[in-house]
This record gives sequence, C-alpha cells and structure tokens, in this order.
Amino acid sequence: MTTSNNPWPQGKTCGVLVTVNFDAESVDLHEVEPENLFGRFSYGRYGMRAGVWRLLDMLRTQGVKATFFVPALDAENNPAQVEAILKDGHEVAARGYAFEDHSQLRDNERSVLARAHHALEKITGKAPLGWRAPQGLLSPATLGLLCELGYRYDSSFQDDDYPYVMECGGGRDIVELPSFQMLDDSTLYAPRHSSNRVLKTWKEEFDAMHDAGTLVTLTLHARGDYGSGRAVRAAAAGEFLAYVQQRSGAFFMTCAEMAAWWKEQHPQSEPAPI
Amino acid sequence: MQGKFRWPDGVRCVALLSVDFDGPSHEIGRKLRPLGINSWGRYAGRRGVPRYLDLFEKHSIPATFFVPGYDAECYPQVVKDIHRRGFEVAAHGYLHEGWALGDEERELLSRTHHILADLLGQAPVGWRSPSGRKTARTMRVLKELGYRYDSSDKDYDLPYMARIDGERRTDMVEIPNNTYSLDDFPWFKFSMTPASEVLEQWRQEFDSLYAENGYFMLTFHPRSGWGSGIPSRAKVIEEMIRYIRQHDGVRFFSIAGLADWCLANHDYFE
Repeated sequence: MTTSNNPWPQGKTCGVLVTVNFDAESVDLHEVEPENLFGRFSYGRYGMRAGVWRLLDMLRTQGVKATFFVPALDAENNPAQVEAILKDGHEVAARGYAFEDHSQLRDNERSVLARAHHALEKITGKAPLGWRAPQGLLSPATLGLLCELGYRYDSSFQDDDYPYVMECGGGRDIVELPSFQMLDDSTLYAPRHSSNRVLKTWKEEFDAMHDAGTLVTLTLHARGDYGSGRAVRAAAAGEFLAYVQQRSGAFFMTCAEMAAWWKEQHPQSEPAPI
Repeated sequence: MQGKFRWPDGVRCVALLSVDFDGPSHEIGRKLRPLGINSWGRYAGRRGVPRYLDLFEKHSIPATFFVPGYDAECYPQVVKDIHRRGFEVAAHGYLHEGWALGDEERELLSRTHHILADLLGQAPVGWRSPSGRKTARTMRVLKELGYRYDSSDKDYDLPYMARIDGERRTDMVEIPNNTYSLDDFPWFKFSMTPASEVLEQWRQEFDSLYAENGYFMLTFHPRSGWGSGIPSRAKVIEEMIRYIRQHDGVRFFSIAGLADWCLANHDYFE
C-alpha cells in the first residue's frame, strides 16, 4: 500500500498504538516455584512495585491512552495496578492465564482461554476485546477460539504494515493488529543495548514508518530486566512518544479503538494462515 | 588481494543486489507454524517483495531473487510479478533446508527447479544454498539440471570457474557471497544493530571492495524480524544504491547477467 492509497482517516498518515505487556510473576513462575520468586526471578515483581507506576506516570505526562495486555494470574495478584490502569482510561486486554505457550496447550487451550477471559472480566468489570499471545506463540485453533469468546482483535503477528481482517471460522472474523520487533523494548534491552541506543533505533524506525504511512505499534514491558519500567528507560519511552507526537499526521488509538475503526473502514477479510 | 579477472570495458566495479525471499518456508522447514512471532516470513510475500520491486524499478536496478520452492507455492502471484517486472528468479531450496539432505538432495533440487520453471515458463539458471548448506553432490546435480551458476561459497572476493569433481568447468561459475558481513541477518538477528549503523558499515565495505577488485555482492531478506523488508531497512538498501551510484565505473548486474559475462570470458577468471 502506498501513500497514494492512504488507509488512514483524512489528513492522517500514521496510526500509533502504544501497548504494554504487563508480564509480571507469571513469567518468572515458568522458571521457579512461587516460594522462590527471589533474586533474578524478582524482575516481574519489580514491574508491579515500580515499573507499571512509572509507565502510568509517563503516559499521563504524554497524554496517551495505551493498551495493557495482562496475564490473568498477574491481574489476580496485582489488582491495585489493574485498577490504576483502568482509572487512567487505558484499555486492559488479555494475554493468557499464566503466560502459557498456546502452541502446546492442545485440548487445554479452550479452557485456558476461557479461564483467563473470565478472570480478567471479573477483575476489570468488562470482557476483554483483544488478545496477545504470551511468548508470541499460537496454535492453529487459537484465533477460532478467540472469536468464539467474542474477541474483536488479536495482536500477535508481525507480518504486515497495516491491520488486516482474518476469517476465524463460523462466519466470524477477527482484526489483526501487527506489532514490530524493533519497536519492542525487549528486543534491544534483552541483549543489553543502552537506553540511548534504543531511543535512537526507535526514532529511526518511526521516521521510516511515518514516511511509508504504516501502522506503528510500540510494545513496552513493565519488568525490570528487559522492560521499560526502570527510570531511565521509562524516560526514554516518554521521549520517544514526545517525538512521535510532534510529527504531523501521527495519531493515537487504543487497540480496541483501532480494531473497530479498521474493520468499519476495511471490512474485507482473508483466510487465516492455517 | 590480486585476483585474475576482467570486467566489461568501462566497468571498474560490479555491484549485485541479491534478495533471499525466505518466506514461510523458513518456519515450515523448522516445524514452526507461521503464526504470531513466527509470521515474519509472511511479511516477505505481503509487503517486503512488493516494496523491493518498487524500489528497484525506481532506481532501474537489476536484482536477483532467490526463491524457495515452497514460497513460490504460497505466493505464486508475487513470484510471477518479480519475473514479469524484469527481475531474475533463482532457486533457493524447497523448504529452505538448512541441514544435510543426504539422498533427498537430488529430488529436492529438482522439485524447486520444476516449480519455478512451471510457474514462470522459464527455468532458473542460478542457485543459492539455504543457510549456506551445500555438499560435493550439489554442484553435480545443479549441472545436470542445467544451472549456469551457484552463489553459495564464501571463499573469495571474485567470481571463479566452478569445480565439479575436481575439474575446472567453463560452463558453470561460482559467484560468491559473504553472509557474515554483507548480509542483513547477522546484524538483525544477533547484534540487533540499528539500521543506520548497518548502512555505515556497508558503505565502508563498499569502499574497501571498490578500492580492490570491484566486486560487491549484498544479500538481504524481504521478511520482517531479522530481514530488511520493513521501511527503515528498505531505506538502508535505497541509501546503499544511491551511495554505490556515486562512484565512477560501477555497473549493477543481475547475478545471471554477471555469470554470463564470466562464462563468456572464462579465461580471465580462476
């Protein structure tokens, strides 16, 4: 799609989604038992004690509404954080129950998705509309099961510059909101790049995406290891959002808003990959 | 390094852009479903290749696309477009088999060969090994299938005549590449280097090679993830084209085009 075929609202050139993967203890619990969440296995807890509050401050300063993808177990263990997210007007979406690898759940996948769905609904008072795969992994059944539960969008793929609509069985469809590896903080913080280098990379990526008129999905984590919850990194994320905001044509939506708007404007669907 | 070679009159440096299509074949071959984080290959067919075709047309650059047979089956229209718009399509395994094939090798080489030939009405004349995997048998089979060049070996900064069973051939040429430095994936898979720094490095690579024999072969991938299909990295390719063009005596070739020159002038190559 070229800029002459601009899919965005009149006068806009670049839709921006700010997403935060809440990923707290549910991640570390894949490594150790609950009684041993100490030392190197306490980075998820850091995200809850410090990180998420900093990111909320940063988003408030920038005046941006984000979408938080929340493993339901982490929501159950950290209700005050979830409440604060909702109070600030952000969206809460689903991300598994305990950060499962959905490509391996087989017959259990339906019950895991339902359990997470209902747990999140109970905590937030509203059924989640979107889902992002923990670890980025899905099974061929996942999209169909999400549709059955009433999900409107998935945000797990990295295969396009724009949202698109996929068929998911039974005459239903689901909007895909792709994300971008280089606009995910963990991509660069996991191999220990500096926050300056991350900011430099994000600006480069954004400039090129803005020129091309694509969707821009920023993905942050609250965690203290590969996430943006630490002070210098939350500041870098804030500086990046300020940079995005000063560019003409860039506009922000939550994922649910984007999915609804896209489907209304571009309803044609395509088959799911498998 | 002083090799034996001759470029066409007026050419001081040959430049080759090679695109390894590497769509979902890459994941399927590794028993991964092209979903979620494993959907990077789909980007090649949906966005990366169309973006490259526009880019190469804009700059009137010949380029060569190495296409795994499976990807041609997934994206027949995209592969036909490459051919229709005047770019070379060459072979690159069936499922991007980056492992030892044993006795299956002959059948797999033949399968992709026929998929591409049937799709395009023209057989590929070049091959590149997926993940640099190649055996003593490979060249024999490629020769039997009628290939004129291989572009897999990493052992020189000039084309040279292929050796098959120890014999120097004058009907098949090796067009080497280097996937440690002049390839996008090591920067974007291992070191996660910012695009602008990769551009800087590739410019330095070009300068050094231009000062020597004048043989510059760049390889990149239209996928997302560790490829260069996305806007920032496609921009790096465009900046490289502009940079290379600023130098006197540079000519861009498709790999088949350069192979044909080498074969017609085989006395001038080792």
